[in-house]
Amino acid sequence: MKPPAFEYHRPETLDEALALLAEHEDAKPLAGGQSLIPAMNFRLAAPAALVDLGRLTELRGLAAASDKEAGGVRFGAMTTHAALETSPLVAQRAPLLAETIGFVAHPQIRNRGTLGGSLAHADPAAELPAVMVALEATLTLQRAGAERRVPAEQFFTGLFATALEPGELVTAIEVPPLPARSGWAFEEMARRHGDYALVGVAVVLRLDPAGRCENARVVLLSVGDGPVLARRAMAALAGQAVNAEVIAGAAELVASEDIDPPSDIHASAAYRRQLARVLTRRALTRALERVR
Amino acid sequence: MIVEGTYPLPGTPPVIWDLLMDPDVLAKAMPGTKQLVRIAPDRYEGVMRVGIGPITAAEFDLAITLTDIRPPESYAMQIDGKGRFGFTRGTAQVELAAEGATETVMRYSADLQVGGKIAALGQRLLDSVSKLLTRQGLEALNRELNRRLGGEPA
Repeated sequence: MKPPAFEYHRPETLDEALALLAEHEDAKPLAGGQSLIPAMNFRLAAPAALVDLGRLTELRGLAAASDKEAGGVRFGAMTTHAALETSPLVAQRAPLLAETIGFVAHPQIRNRGTLGGSLAHADPAAELPAVMVALEATLTLQRAGAERRVPAEQFFTGLFATALEPGELVTAIEVPPLPARSGWAFEEMARRHGDYALVGVAVVLRLDPAGRCENARVVLLSVGDGPVLARRAMAALAGQAVNAEVIAGAAELVASEDIDPPSDIHASAAYRRQLARVLTRRALTRALERVR
Repeated sequence: MIVEGTYPLPGTPPVIWDLLMDPDVLAKAMPGTKQLVRIAPDRYEGVMRVGIGPITAAEFDLAITLTDIRPPESYAMQIDGKGRFGFTRGTAQVELAAEGATETVMRYSADLQVGGKIAALGQRLLDSVSKLLTRQGLEALNRELNRRLGGEPA
């Protein structure tokens, strides 16, 4: 349970951190260390160097997004899960995120684990990637001398794979304001609270003034290589007067067409499909009740 | 763990068969293969390095023995991999069937056991990882076959 030897760098500023990452090809950035450090201790991961982001105060904390994103929230990548959990701003402006955060592991892990770390790690069973895709968040990626913005939907590219290039770091995440007449919900099933989810689903439902679905976001976790957008179900909801029957139809599409879930000792693919069907129905039903 | 499916390949079964027996082509079908040597007509040995997400350096010594060889239609493989992180062993069946005059459909199925540390820690990911490696392997194999048959560039 001890990691192989590695170099350790603890920069004081973001520029310093980016320079170190550019310089050391084998370096891994260390955020909260809740996935990387166990992997190193089990000797599954053996990075030559770690660049500890713990002192980069500029990456910590969250704030109301300014000007054109008024009503949204901007998160520093090193914001901990615990900070999200207790933030009144998150509860008010990103209630889907507030509802989800308690499902992420345990309080001890949420105290250390960070939003940026979870997104960059891109575990297929992680809650926050799915929620960020549902909320249509945008990630800011920085490398020495360059910066780009990537929609969450395009950031996740496969199993533990992201759009991050070598030397690049997630530095901020922006969640746009929740539009009027929107409802949201998060549902997940795990064997025990805090275990990896067998299936989870994040939903945002927006209605038009006539009460028809203007836009639906249905994103599943733990059923594929990363967060899975249920495109067929979303298309089936669009333009519909959403009721129990429409919701049941969308949930059926999720289970039968949108996902190709894996089997493992915890749950068969068939059971995951059934969970996806039930959880999607519950989430859409609750999201509809919440539309205001 | 069962991995199975079908995949179209360019070329007639006899052409595909000859290429599949070439260790350099076979290596393409197994992502992360660092070297693969044919040490006997029916036996290949090599080293495979798998890196997915947090696992950056899982290296396996690999031995593949061909059995039930029926050119150009089918063969079976006995697969044996051992490394610091665990082991995999099992059997695979490959069948080639002509599709029209110029193409082949490959039908593959493998029954693999994975054990050791990698199975203990990564159990929930084995299915997704095997699907990913299979997809990557088949796409690489297809590219290599196209290249060798003078079709699209690799």
